[in-house]
Amino acid sequence: MSHTELVVWSAALIGLCFGAAGQATGFCLMRGLANSWTLGDTRKLRSFVLAMAVALLGSQALAASGLVALEASHYASATPSWLAIPLGGVLFGYGMTLANGCGARALVLLGSGNLRSFVVLTCLGLAAYMALSGVLAPLRIWLEGMTTLVLPARDLPGAVGVPAWLTALVLGGILLAWVFSSAAFRASPRDWLGGLIIGLLVPAGWYATGVLGHDDFEPVRLASLTFIAPIGESLQYLMLSTGTRLGFGVSVVGGVIVGALAMALLRRDLILRAFDGPGQMLRSMTGGALMGIGGVMALGCSIGQGLSGMSTLALTAFAALAGIVAGARLGIVGPLALSNN
Amino acid sequence: MRPDRPTHHDAARRRLLRGLVAAVAAIGLATPAMAEGPWQRLDAARSVLGDAEPVTQGLVLDLPHVSEDGASVSLTVGFDGELADDDYISRIDLFATANPSPEIATFHLTPLSGKPEISTRVRLNETQQVIAIATSHQGERFATAREVRITVSGCLMRNGADQPEPLSNPRVSVPARFSPGQPEAVRTLINHPMETGLREGPDGEIVPRHIIERFTVSLNGETAFEADLHQSVSASPYLLFYLSPEQDSEAVFEWQDDTGSTARHEAAIETS
Repeated sequence: MSHTELVVWSAALIGLCFGAAGQATGFCLMRGLANSWTLGDTRKLRSFVLAMAVALLGSQALAASGLVALEASHYASATPSWLAIPLGGVLFGYGMTLANGCGARALVLLGSGNLRSFVVLTCLGLAAYMALSGVLAPLRIWLEGMTTLVLPARDLPGAVGVPAWLTALVLGGILLAWVFSSAAFRASPRDWLGGLIIGLLVPAGWYATGVLGHDDFEPVRLASLTFIAPIGESLQYLMLSTGTRLGFGVSVVGGVIVGALAMALLRRDLILRAFDGPGQMLRSMTGGALMGIGGVMALGCSIGQGLSGMSTLALTAFAALAGIVAGARLGIVGPLALSNN
Repeated sequence: MRPDRPTHHDAARRRLLRGLVAAVAAIGLATPAMAEGPWQRLDAARSVLGDAEPVTQGLVLDLPHVSEDGASVSLTVGFDGELADDDYISRIDLFATANPSPEIATFHLTPLSGKPEISTRVRLNETQQVIAIATSHQGERFATAREVRITVSGCLMRNGADQPEPLSNPRVSVPARFSPGQPEAVRTLINHPMETGLREGPDGEIVPRHIIERFTVSLNGETAFEADLHQSVSASPYLLFYLSPEQDSEAVFEWQDDTGSTARHEAAIETS
């Protein structure tokens, strides 16, 4: 098997695990934030933070062992835009509340029979490619060019002058301590298993592209779990597959849908769902479009920046994640909250 | 409701359709005779073709339909058409119709190359046609073209990426063992900025052209494969081609850039 086929198959496997775990556990940053802000139930949020800590420790262990050079990923940019990344995060976070879940969640829900998610995903993929290379791309590139910031360091260890493994241990330790400080969370295996499995898939992704995909002559771009550009790329792949090559991201997307479908069948949880009315549909479409545009501006989504980006300790990941949480707060608590039905 | 029986209207529509199909077929049949390919409109390609009328079957260009990174587009050109028994493809030219200079590369093949198939990575600065022209040893010519759509770079990664040291770190991957006369793929890569001479540096001055111009492979001193490269070849040129040694050979790979500097790599090739 060639190294590119190996990457594609391992990506499909990673996607399958993500889809199955997401379907069974309801892993979702949006739900986690909404539950903790409105109901005071932090279990889902802790599940996400657990995934973040596991992804961080696992990825930094890979980096420390010399297997993967995480600074080659696109998160660790030395010249990011100080405006596009946090603003993109806010757009993404707000869009996520309108669409009732992020892009990865929509893939899992689609696999469980939720047809609303198909509309969200189509709008998301379309908007992502409009911003990436389509009609909105010149505007995005102009904006990024106007607001470029030359950073003295690409990542947190570089900025504070502490070795990466030590930064990861300290930060990971703090996150884990907070995660397990809740008895309700400790008593909820569904949530900590979900966080653990999905967290482990992030270093698995770095391993697939960085080690299995390593080839001097035809290098595979270093990547891990991320969903915005890959959802758009998947739409493009469906239409142009004879003229494009299957890569890591598209293969993960396909795997997530199939994994979620398999788990939904196994759990007898496959139910077709549709919109109740045009208001809900419009909100989902707007949410999908905001996630697509915001995700491209922020260089990643709640999973792409929140888990994969954070696992590299890139400074852009902190800015994007802060934007995503702020945007979600606007949509869940206010002042831009739309009444949930 | 659909009527059960065809009406007069339906019959008329069918007649019209038949007429259209015939017209389209006639145009389709007429096209090869005219052979008005994009190579006829490009001076550089016409100078390779001369007055010859190229065969449009047999030469195959494999390029993505859409590429988000025009700085490095994977390209494979291969030949699976028909040739006389004692003939072989001796030269393949590649052109990018809308690049500032259309020449991409010229490959010179020999019977020692075995199989006329080459992969590389090229620069395409906008949506355009890529043209390949193959010439056989006895002068037969083949041409093909393929459109590639180039969009702006996806994640905008190349913000002043470090320029590689010219002609450093040559890498060659040769199969452990050849069967005599059986072509096997050889892959080569070398670090080089392939500076186009068209780009402005950070100081606003044009960065002077600096590219690898020639790559040669010889087996026991006999030239097996040669490539003339131009600035439309991506930085750190990658080449995949075939070798078909008849006996154990000493293979020498040599890259030469436009300052006259060279890099060399030697490999022992075993056949069995």
